[in-house]
Amino acid sequence: MNDRSPRTSTEVHRLLDEAFAGIDPTPEAQDLKEEIRDNLLSRVAELEVAGATPAEAARRAVDELGDVRELVAAASGEADVHADATGQAPATRGTRPGASAAELAERNRVRPKPAFVVRTVVLGIVAAAALVTLVLGLTPLLPLATGALIAIAAVLGLAIGVITGDALHQETTTNYPLPTGRAVLFGAATGLLVAGLGFAAVVAVRLDLVWLVLAAVLVVVAIAVLSALGATQTNRHKPWVLTLHRDAARAGNRFEEDPAAAARFGIYSAVIWLTAFVLVPVLGFTVGWWWAPLPVVGAFIAMMLVLARMLFGHDASRTSR
Amino acid sequence: MIQDSAASGDAFAADLLRGHTDTIVLGVLREHDSYGFEIYKHIRDATGGGYEIKEATLYASYRRLVRDGLAEAYWGDESQGGRRKYYRITDAGRAAFRQNVASWVATRTIIDSLLGSQPAPANTKGSLR
Repeated sequence: MNDRSPRTSTEVHRLLDEAFAGIDPTPEAQDLKEEIRDNLLSRVAELEVAGATPAEAARRAVDELGDVRELVAAASGEADVHADATGQAPATRGTRPGASAAELAERNRVRPKPAFVVRTVVLGIVAAAALVTLVLGLTPLLPLATGALIAIAAVLGLAIGVITGDALHQETTTNYPLPTGRAVLFGAATGLLVAGLGFAAVVAVRLDLVWLVLAAVLVVVAIAVLSALGATQTNRHKPWVLTLHRDAARAGNRFEEDPAAAARFGIYSAVIWLTAFVLVPVLGFTVGWWWAPLPVVGAFIAMMLVLARMLFGHDASRTSR
Repeated sequence: MIQDSAASGDAFAADLLRGHTDTIVLGVLREHDSYGFEIYKHIRDATGGGYEIKEATLYASYRRLVRDGLAEAYWGDESQGGRRKYYRITDAGRAAFRQNVASWVATRTIIDSLLGSQPAPANTKGSLR
């Protein structure tokens, strides 16, 4: 890359812009263009080393690309149509648009690593043993020193923390692994939280209550770190899961498509609850106060039925529209 | 891309290769994270420069691999001309690769016995792992 002369670059950029002229600049197309740009520059550098003039190299590299339109179409979703044309073997697991969730999950299946499973089971046993010992130690059943109890709380926190961080660092069928730093922070914060709560229990039973301040600090710090991590969390889902979510969302929320239906539902709800609140004292004074909550239960049931009917039972109205 | 001078026998081989593009790309990524041109060059060199997989086929393959969760794309920024897009194989990709290699080995055995062609030396199976 060091031997890229600026002149070469200009020529390639110009040819690339020309090739992409008239193509809808969707995010996918832009992304592909940037990816192609870098690869073109590498190819041009290679051709120049082989002895081509810069202009010649740029033209050849762009020519080798073939039809960019075809490339964009192939890259942006119509890949399956294209795949058939290029004789893509079915063994390469292209996603059919109509594939069911179960089918997709099976196709994208990631088995847990055996070492991870063993670690989690062992640490789970350690954590369970620590928890039982801690609880028993706090009762008069098992006489243990206060220091030992605090140590057990720490062990419990450590085990839970390692399990949490380890699990987040694994790739699963639906998620990419969390980056190491974040996984460690998540694990540490969770461990701190558990240890802090355990320490608080020890303080409550055995120690001067002033020590609760320390427990509170541990817990608050842990919660703060977890909140920060949660707030800065971005997507971990794999593309096939996101596609699934999008499809599910498209299945229809009628209240979004049809605000009038939402307004009608609001009015129905108001009427149902108003009736219920009127009926409560009426029943209370006439039949007896034992029966008074009944209208509230009835109203809740009625509202849920109306909601189900209005939110989802609208296939007929959709086809007629 | 099939070279213009390619005989029909070469076209047959190119078709076969193209049918396994995704697996071949996964095989390259299994070694280390890589980017478009490097993968392209790797495949070209491995075929002795005789066949070149069409770049369109490769770009489509990358998109398919990412969409199916078999590879993960990320932008690095070491190159001066523009940022470079790298691909990293996922665990799902490794599993798919193993499975595809197993099906290929099985298919090859069947075709060899059907065509009466000489079976490959015994050590090829090991080298695919």
